[in-house]
Amino acid sequence: MDVATEASITAAQDVNSSLYLGLHNAQIYQDGLSFSGSERDKVWINRGPGKGFADLSDLSGADDPNDGRAVVAADFDDDGDVDLFVHNIQRERHKLFRNDAVEPGAPESGFLKIKLRGTQLAREAIGATVIVTGPHGPTAQVLSRGAGFVSSQSDELVFGLGPLKQADVEVVWPGGRRESFGALPTGSRSLLVEGSGQGEPYEAQPRPLPDPLPPGLLLEEGEILPSLTLVDANGNTATLDPVKLADGDTLFLNLWASYCAPCVAEIPDLQALEDAGEVNVVGVSVDAPASRERASQVLAKRGGSYPSFYLGAGGTGLEPLVDLERLPIPTTLVITPEGRIDTILRGPLER
Amino acid sequence: MGLHPSLLRLAPVLGFCLLALLSGCSDSEGLHDEELVENEATRPLPDSLSVSTPDSPLIHMEIVEDFSEEVANEMLGFSDKLRRRDFGAAAEWLAPDFVGHALSGLTPDSLESLPLESTRTEFLPASAPIVGRAGFLAALESYVGPWERVEYVQWKVKGAEFQTGKPRWGRVKYRVTVLGNAEDGSPRSLVAWGYGKQLFRDGKWTLQQFELTSLVEQQRAKRLFTDVSASAGIAHAGIRFGQPGNKSFAFNGASAGDVNGDGLVDLFVPSRPRNFLYMGKTEGGFSEEAADRGVALPAGGTGAVFFDWDDDGDADLALADVGWIERDGTPSGNPLRLYINDGTGLFTERGEEFGFDALCNGYSLTVLDDTLDGALDVFVSNYGRIAAEPNNSWTDASNGMSNILYRNEGGTRFQDKTADAGMTDSRWSYAAAAADHDLDGDQDVYVANDYSRNIFWENQGDGTFQDAAESLGLSDLGNGMGTAWGDLDNNGMLDLYVANMTSTAGSRILGRLAGQSEGDTQDLLKMAGGNSIFLNSPTETDTESSFERLPSSEGGVSASWAWSPALADLNLDGNLDVFCTNGFVTGDTAADT
Repeated sequence: MDVATEASITAAQDVNSSLYLGLHNAQIYQDGLSFSGSERDKVWINRGPGKGFADLSDLSGADDPNDGRAVVAADFDDDGDVDLFVHNIQRERHKLFRNDAVEPGAPESGFLKIKLRGTQLAREAIGATVIVTGPHGPTAQVLSRGAGFVSSQSDELVFGLGPLKQADVEVVWPGGRRESFGALPTGSRSLLVEGSGQGEPYEAQPRPLPDPLPPGLLLEEGEILPSLTLVDANGNTATLDPVKLADGDTLFLNLWASYCAPCVAEIPDLQALEDAGEVNVVGVSVDAPASRERASQVLAKRGGSYPSFYLGAGGTGLEPLVDLERLPIPTTLVITPEGRIDTILRGPLER
Repeated sequence: MGLHPSLLRLAPVLGFCLLALLSGCSDSEGLHDEELVENEATRPLPDSLSVSTPDSPLIHMEIVEDFSEEVANEMLGFSDKLRRRDFGAAAEWLAPDFVGHALSGLTPDSLESLPLESTRTEFLPASAPIVGRAGFLAALESYVGPWERVEYVQWKVKGAEFQTGKPRWGRVKYRVTVLGNAEDGSPRSLVAWGYGKQLFRDGKWTLQQFELTSLVEQQRAKRLFTDVSASAGIAHAGIRFGQPGNKSFAFNGASAGDVNGDGLVDLFVPSRPRNFLYMGKTEGGFSEEAADRGVALPAGGTGAVFFDWDDDGDADLALADVGWIERDGTPSGNPLRLYINDGTGLFTERGEEFGFDALCNGYSLTVLDDTLDGALDVFVSNYGRIAAEPNNSWTDASNGMSNILYRNEGGTRFQDKTADAGMTDSRWSYAAAAADHDLDGDQDVYVANDYSRNIFWENQGDGTFQDAAESLGLSDLGNGMGTAWGDLDNNGMLDLYVANMTSTAGSRILGRLAGQSEGDTQDLLKMAGGNSIFLNSPTETDTESSFERLPSSEGGVSASWAWSPALADLNLDGNLDVFCTNGFVTGDTAADT
């Protein structure tokens, strides 16, 4: 999409200034144009000395598309691995990505956490180099404050130990004194005080970062589902009133689309539930409005005769419930007779 | 010849949607289903396919660029329809007589195990079924139809050549990316490279041919990271960039620190219309306390750094900003702010009192003890005066604001000692990182510059610095954005990572400048070369620290518009990995139906 913007940077006598001003001209961005946009943040996993890097960005879940700038890599939940805070320039600006790549402390995924305290120069020991002899040889990290781009890291360093039970730790303090702290055991957290020669354990403070809602859903289990203004199969405005549709029973609200094969496959199952009479089923198609007719035909062909709703003009109507850009489908909400979301079922019902 | 065998092979796996499409139930505008069916059924498809190169290519770069833009814009809508799996509507972007290689149904060529139980499958492009319009969409549908979610589809124009005269057509190099969750919820990515023949007909660029040159699929059981922003209490939705209230190029940074000494990581995040201070909670997550702790206003700022400037045991905060313009329109700059921590995590801004009086256009701040006196000093990476005076060169710009070295006089006051230290330099600096590269005890500073080469200030041990980028092998001519130190090859020495503007963005922009600006063309193209990894590699004969560039074939450097690298061991295997923020400005997605 970067090329889109270049449209506005027309040929000019003074190429230098036109391009410069183009890049930094907020007007073109106000007009919705991109410049090197839709570029996602990158994750490269080091395959070991001499083996290069593997680009796992696409599978990382940290490949945020909102034009990241700053990053803070720190163990925010104190489980032993490094999580990522990213500051984007727009939309979902503050992002915290919990590291789930490995299970810290598992036999193959040991770690050391290290803090430093200087005694000869500054107490913070900024600029000290810590060298841990890990499974692939010595690994050096610097205690930095201000690196990357407009980013500053925490006062705690995390070293991966792989399968090692312990690892030798050395510090080169500001001023150049090299000091050994001996072998520290995997899973430990140690404050290294300059001149002491041994690590001082500090307490772990585990503080889990809970799983998020299913992506795209804006309401949680336990919340009341408000009435939704959608359209019916003919495009006429229709109100989805959960309490009315539940009619004293449990309501299954199925979010689906005609292009989604598993969604279509379970239409007969939903109809069977409806027919059994214990629950009421209602379908909400998230197909684009232009595909509404197709969706209603697909539903009919698969024998779905339960009440069905579709997105209104411009794809609207579900804003109180879901962010359509992110919703995995099928998703089914189990709603109480009072209109409260009891359970959120992800994927086809048989799962 | 009838229906191509490959299409027959696909038939059993066609989704019902295609059947619906073929039976004419799609209501998509512009698609004539019957004609399409007829075409598919009667039109012979070739046995091989190659998009020809224009024999009389347009050479005027501006026109090539304009056409490329048009094609790229046109294909936004196609990507959007595919992401929504609205294959009926997507057909509009393909010519009725389209012929191309399908993106599924290929023979796997090699299966490679990647770290963290990920796999990478490369398919044989030559095995791609040759299909017509319906077959192409059916193949895509058979691939992504069952997915739980298609998160992202992009047809990215990576280059183009166009034929002179009419009819207007071009050979467009594409990278096609499809990301999402497969049927079982596992992450999946498909990346195809190929050439399209794009034909301008009826006021619209349609894809008439597609020749596949490579196809790679990656998968893993789970994503490596989970977005916990909302459950951690830090989800903050901002307005789109470019809209009133979010138009500034003073990109906001982030700093970690322990504000109240409770051992938990806190985060300061400058922003407009107010700043954020996320205080770590013992039960997990964060609470936002900027206003209560005195750092909510004034709003905004770029680089922020927590450090104990007076060595009293708590975390103080320095903050830079760019882009100040006086009331009379004179561009000037901003003094740094210095927030003093009272020991409990309450802050008072006292920058002026403690010597932060120079006007800066600073992006990043970097703390070091440059004279080893135990008082922590601050290096300011100053940029040019945005909106006032463009860079005077694309490869050697010298009209930025000089960087500043603030020396800390024993925790009593900062003094601008840039000139004394020999660090006066007016390149357009975005960021710097300090470290002791040769473990001689003093700290050196690498500076990433936009529009010119980077500088490596080697500490001479006498309060002065000299640029040793060239002599130590750290010269990097690029649009430097960010830089960080970390040992990437496990030899106990710190290596250097530099984030640059790369690949598409770089080569398209700089390619456009080549021959039109005063800069040397080769230099310009080199500036688009990607990020850089410099390995700190003392040899047996020469034990002094010196650096060698890791060849880009080793990976880890190809982003697009890279900003902030962070080097950390993400999988705890003993090797440092690289995370890097990326992308300049993403505009609106293509219009909805």
